[in-house]
Amino acid sequence: MGVASTVESIHYHDVIIIGGGLTGLRAALQISNSGLSGALVSKVHPLRSHSVAAQGGMNASLGNVPGDDGASDDWKMHAYDTVKGSDYLADQDAVEKMCREAVATVYELEHMGTVWSRLENGKIAQRPFGGAGFPRTCYAADRTGHNALHTLYEQVLNKNFPFYEEFFVTSLVKDKGRCIGCTAIEIMTGKIHGFISKAVLMATGGFGRIFNRSTNALINTGDGQALALEAGVPLKDMEFVQFHPTTLYGTNILMSEGARGEGGILINSQGKRFMEKYAPNSVDLAPRDVVARSIEQEIREGRGYDGGYVHLDLTHLGSDRIMERLPGIRQIAMDFAGVDPIKEPVPVQPGQHYSMGGIDVDINGSTILPGLYAAGECACISVHGANRLGGNSLLETVIFGRLVADTIIKDINNFQIPDILPVESAVNDVEFKIKEVMGREKGANIFDVKDEMTELMFQKFGIFRNGQTMKKGLNEILKMENKLSELTPNNKDLAVNQTLIQFLELEGMLKIAEVVARGAIKRKESRGSHMRTDHPDRDDKNFLKHTIIGLEDNNLNINYKPVTLGMFEPKERVY
Amino acid sequence: MKIKVYRYHDGMKNPRYDTFELEPKPGLTILGALFQFQQNFDDSIAFHYSCRGAVCGTCAMLINKVPRLACRTQVASLLNGDLKIPLSPYHAIEENIEWDNKEEVLIEPLPHLPVIKDLIVDMGKFFEYYKDIEPVFKPADSTPEKERLMDPDSIPELELYTNCILCAACFGSCPIDDSDPEYLGPAALAKLYRFYIDPREENGIERLKIADIPRGWWDCKFHGNCRRVCPKDVPPLIAIAKAREQLEKEGEDR
Ligand SMILES: Cc1cc2nc3c(=O)[nH]c(=O)nc-3n(C[C@H](O)[C@H](O)[C@H](O)COP(=O)(O)OP(=O)(O)OC[C@H]3O[C@@H](n4cnc5c(N)ncnc54)[C@H](O)[C@@H]3O)c2cc1C
Ligand code: SF4
Ligand code: FES
Repeated sequence: MGVASTVESIHYHDVIIIGGGLTGLRAALQISNSGLSGALVSKVHPLRSHSVAAQGGMNASLGNVPGDDGASDDWKMHAYDTVKGSDYLADQDAVEKMCREAVATVYELEHMGTVWSRLENGKIAQRPFGGAGFPRTCYAADRTGHNALHTLYEQVLNKNFPFYEEFFVTSLVKDKGRCIGCTAIEIMTGKIHGFISKAVLMATGGFGRIFNRSTNALINTGDGQALALEAGVPLKDMEFVQFHPTTLYGTNILMSEGARGEGGILINSQGKRFMEKYAPNSVDLAPRDVVARSIEQEIREGRGYDGGYVHLDLTHLGSDRIMERLPGIRQIAMDFAGVDPIKEPVPVQPGQHYSMGGIDVDINGSTILPGLYAAGECACISVHGANRLGGNSLLETVIFGRLVADTIIKDINNFQIPDILPVESAVNDVEFKIKEVMGREKGANIFDVKDEMTELMFQKFGIFRNGQTMKKGLNEILKMENKLSELTPNNKDLAVNQTLIQFLELEGMLKIAEVVARGAIKRKESRGSHMRTDHPDRDDKNFLKHTIIGLEDNNLNINYKPVTLGMFEPKERVY
Repeated sequence: MKIKVYRYHDGMKNPRYDTFELEPKPGLTILGALFQFQQNFDDSIAFHYSCRGAVCGTCAMLINKVPRLACRTQVASLLNGDLKIPLSPYHAIEENIEWDNKEEVLIEPLPHLPVIKDLIVDMGKFFEYYKDIEPVFKPADSTPEKERLMDPDSIPELELYTNCILCAACFGSCPIDDSDPEYLGPAALAKLYRFYIDPREENGIERLKIADIPRGWWDCKFHGNCRRVCPKDVPPLIAIAKAREQLEKEGEDR
């Protein structure tokens, strides 16, 4: 077969960064400053990355706003809240590193031009956030991700750092036990490119879209985790998936906690306020996981509305208060559900929100494969453990984007310039594979299979889990994986073939779904976001450990790794 | 109801329009309709998407002859005629495409940028013009230890401009970008103004001079389409008017 026919080119850079969200851009800036040659590859224009959607803010113990009794915040208290929030599954050395660096990181963005909201005294404003003992979350109105992403994009663009935009990475290339680059489809032309580099940094974000109800961007399909797995790098704690209680029915766009903070209440289809029953003290303002479970229970017991939602009622707040305090929420409800919260309640349901697990890395961001690194939501350095606190993930992206780039800068002298041959042959492999996929007989509808999987994941691996249904779910996932070899796009053009791209995403998503399923089935306890009705309690004796799942001879292998404690001993998590 | 979609790919002499029938469920957006088209009618359709929540700026297209975000536009409200936006005329919206606006929604690519395929345009030029205005923070002083202080009252005006999501809806709505393909366009100028008014910058008028050129501040004729189509209420017109005022004042002072 004339496999080399559509090879456009092979590119060399010292460092390839895959992903153009906050993590990737911050790393790019660091690489550029170090004088190394680097390039950033992203399947969308960097500004279209999911990071742009983050609303609430970024945690750092600046101490600009005093806590109760005028107390002042510090990194240790930030670390404590983070570890407690993680239900003690976070690695405490990584948490320490993050919390110590947090303050400098917020300042750093400010110095680059990010427009933060301000206090009367001109300092960066901070607000209280769930699970935090201090008003610690620095914010830019409800557009923190947007402001930070634009700032970093401006900085990197200013360095003339090379971007390969709308390049979909298809594989990582290995040679002599080392990662030496990757392959990618240039989406607009359909051509396959090869990238050779001494180091590759994964900054590919989360996998929220394996669930049909998700607040994530549609592009969050977990490609990076699947690529790493395929390259023999294990994934960590993938069963820990955060669900947000209030997402807009229909599109699952986030309706921030602020709505309940301002006095919004949840009502079931019988017109009854139900949170009193589940959380008599904090009622509608109970922690995210508690509220999410309560809503889901109401729906399952038949007290939701048709289609599976409840009402978030703000009408009693009155038009002035809504217009002043919750204009963004109102706009979203009107634009995306055609509902004006001043006049009627907003239909909401819980939805997937964040992927705590990811590519297994050590505290420096290195994977077990020399030359391959990971940071941000795609990685699991384990600062979030079993449950992430709001405002900690933006922080993670910017800090570890920089620190892991530093690791690469340090390591890179040990790496020789790689051979070109393995990259060329990887390009050929991808071409061969795509020809094979495109040459298949017309099969089932790719999108139908995707819908089936995402629905299954929410139903069987969602907010409530139990051994029996999960085992059934796993079988269905395996069946769907078998179906993959019968799928093919009807469109046979290679240029701008978004169906082909979605097919390739789906392959990875199903693998990730299987990893989530296996991790969840084996973890016979409830911890953080992982709630098992058949094992409702946390079990530190058997499960205070990280799940590590890797691919060996095409089979998923489960191992465990100890959690790094040190600062705080595990206690019961009560709020 | 139906959606009528512009189709074009390399090698076609002229674009064609495909019509697809669908159920306008409440809450259905144009982006949702396009996904239905892809899933149930023709999987070769090409369109940009990412956040589906009107924040990433990737899905601007011409919908019923108005540049809008596909993910933010409700199909039902278009059919009710609620979403009519009067615009100063330019070529792309004057073209005579037959469509029944009670029954159909017309979806076409964003004007003033070359079409790559179907609803995907090449944003290269838009980002090139953006880069021309040197969009990077240039602080007046050396880096302090902590944050630079900012008067909270200075934030609302800045936010008007930092809110831009670089979707290019304004670029595709601007009659000047239609007649003068070199014109930097509303978004780039608004971005430049954002840096100019940042109190932490003190390059003052020098910033504005970057666009003190025919294809910059002076090209605008205040049609105002940009403001009307902007999904984030960014007011490029105000930026342009104020910049001109500053530059004229400086000219007199000299
Ligand atoms: C609605 C919402 C609100 C949030 N609000 C907050 C908040 O207030 N505070 C907070 O701390 N966190 C928040 N988060 C979480 C936070 O936004 C994310 O964790 C964070 O932005 C992830 O950044 P990242 O750089 O790791 O990945 P992303 O921003 O997701 O970027 C991933 C990049 O990888 C690229 N990529 C992926 N696959 C491929 C491939 N195959 N080939 C090439 N490129 C690829 C993509 O193009 C993209 O550029 C929120 C999340 C959601 C869903
Ligand atoms: S000014 Fe408005 S319309 Fe123009 S690019 Fe920015 S957000 Fe889009
Ligand atoms: S998909 Fe992001 S703005 Fe429409």
